[in-house]
Amino acid sequence: MIHLGRDTSSRIISKGIAAGHSNNTYRGLVSAHRKATNARNFTCCDSLLIGDKCGAHTVPYIEAKNASATFEHEATTSKISDDQLFYCLSRGLSEEEAVALIVNGFVRDVLQHLPMEFMAETQKLIGISLEGSVG
Amino acid sequence: MLEIKNLHAKIEDREILKGLDLTLPAGEVHAIMGPNGSGKSTLAYVLAGKEDYEVTDGSITWNGEDLLAMDPSERAVAGVFLAFQYPMEIPGVATMTFLRSAVNAVRKARDEEEYSTPDFLRLVKEKAKELQIDVEMLRRPLNVGFSGGEKKRNEILQMALLEPGLCVLDETDSGLDIDALRIVADGVNALRSKERAMLVITHYQRLLNYIVPDKVHVMSDGRVARSGGPELALELEKSGYAEFGGEATAA
Repeated sequence: MIHLGRDTSSRIISKGIAAGHSNNTYRGLVSAHRKATNARNFTCCDSLLIGDKCGAHTVPYIEAKNASATFEHEATTSKISDDQLFYCLSRGLSEEEAVALIVNGFVRDVLQHLPMEFMAETQKLIGISLEGSVG
Repeated sequence: MLEIKNLHAKIEDREILKGLDLTLPAGEVHAIMGPNGSGKSTLAYVLAGKEDYEVTDGSITWNGEDLLAMDPSERAVAGVFLAFQYPMEIPGVATMTFLRSAVNAVRKARDEEEYSTPDFLRLVKEKAKELQIDVEMLRRPLNVGFSGGEKKRNEILQMALLEPGLCVLDETDSGLDIDALRIVADGVNALRSKERAMLVITHYQRLLNYIVPDKVHVMSDGRVARSGGPELALELEKSGYAEFGGEATAA
C-alpha cells in the first residue's frame, strides 16, 4: 500500500489459514511518501491455525517518509479449539462440516466483499481444500 | 430409554465417575443434583461423547443402542442433545447459519428431507418467538457477545429445532435471572413429551419449581447416592449437601 498524496487512508484485512504442516506468512509493505501528509493506514492480520503442526507469521513493513503518517498494525492468531469443534459435532455436524463452518466464519469479513457467485464458490472451495485436515 | 450401568470415567488421570447407575425411561424428566465436583457435568459430557473423558468401565445404552460406540455427531443423529453450561462462541458464523447447518445435517443423516430456506426461516421464527428470542439475535455471530440469558435461550432453541429424544441440560439455570429462568423453563416444558427423556442437571432446587421432575437423583463422589421424588430436592434445599460430602451451607 503506497500513499502518495495528502490525507489518504487505506485499510488492509488479511486472513490467513494454516492447516496440517503448513506455514503461513504475511508480508505487507505500507509506505507514505514525503508529500503524503496525514496518511492513515490500518492493517489487520488474522491467522487461523488448524492442528498443532502448522504456524503463522506476520511480517509488516512500514516505511514512513512523512512524520505525520499514522499506521496501525494489529495481528491475531487463533486456533480452532477442541471445544468449538465438539460443540458443532454435538449438534450433528460432521468434523469436516464443522471445520468448514468455523473457517468460513473466520474469513467472512473478507468474503462478504466479494460478489455473490465468488463468495459462494470460495466457501465451497475452502470446504473442499480443508477436507481431512483435522484428526 | 437411557440405561447407564456401572459407569466409570476419568479425565487425564483423575477418576470422576465411579460406578454410576441410572435408568431414565422415555417420557420422564429426571433431575441430577449434587455438590460441586460430584461429577454432574462429567456425566453430561460423557453422554454427549466429549473426547477428553475416557470411559474405563460400564455401559450406556440408548434405546438399546450402545452410545459409547458412537462419535458425538452420530449421537446427535441418534437423538442425544446436550444443552451446554457454557455454549461456545463461533465468530463470523451467523446464528441462523449455524442452526440451519445443524438441523439439515441431522435431518440428512436421519434420512429426512432437508428444509428449504423459507420453510426453515418460518420454523425458526415460530420457535424463537416462544422463547422470546429477537430475530435480530439470530443474525449475530453464534453466541458472540450474547448475554447469559441469550446463550441459554439459544441452547433451548437448538433443542427445539433438533427434536432430540434425550435432552441433557447442564446447569441451564446458571447465570439466569428470574424472568429468563421462567422463559427457559417454559421452553423446556413445552418440549416434554411421552417419547422424550430429559436429564436436568442443576445445583439449585429453584429450577425444579418450574421444571418439575419425575425423579431426583443426588450425586456424590461419582455415584448416585440417593434417588427420590421431587420432595428430595426440597429436602436438600433445607439441609444442604453436607451428608453427601459437600461443604455444609448455613441456611
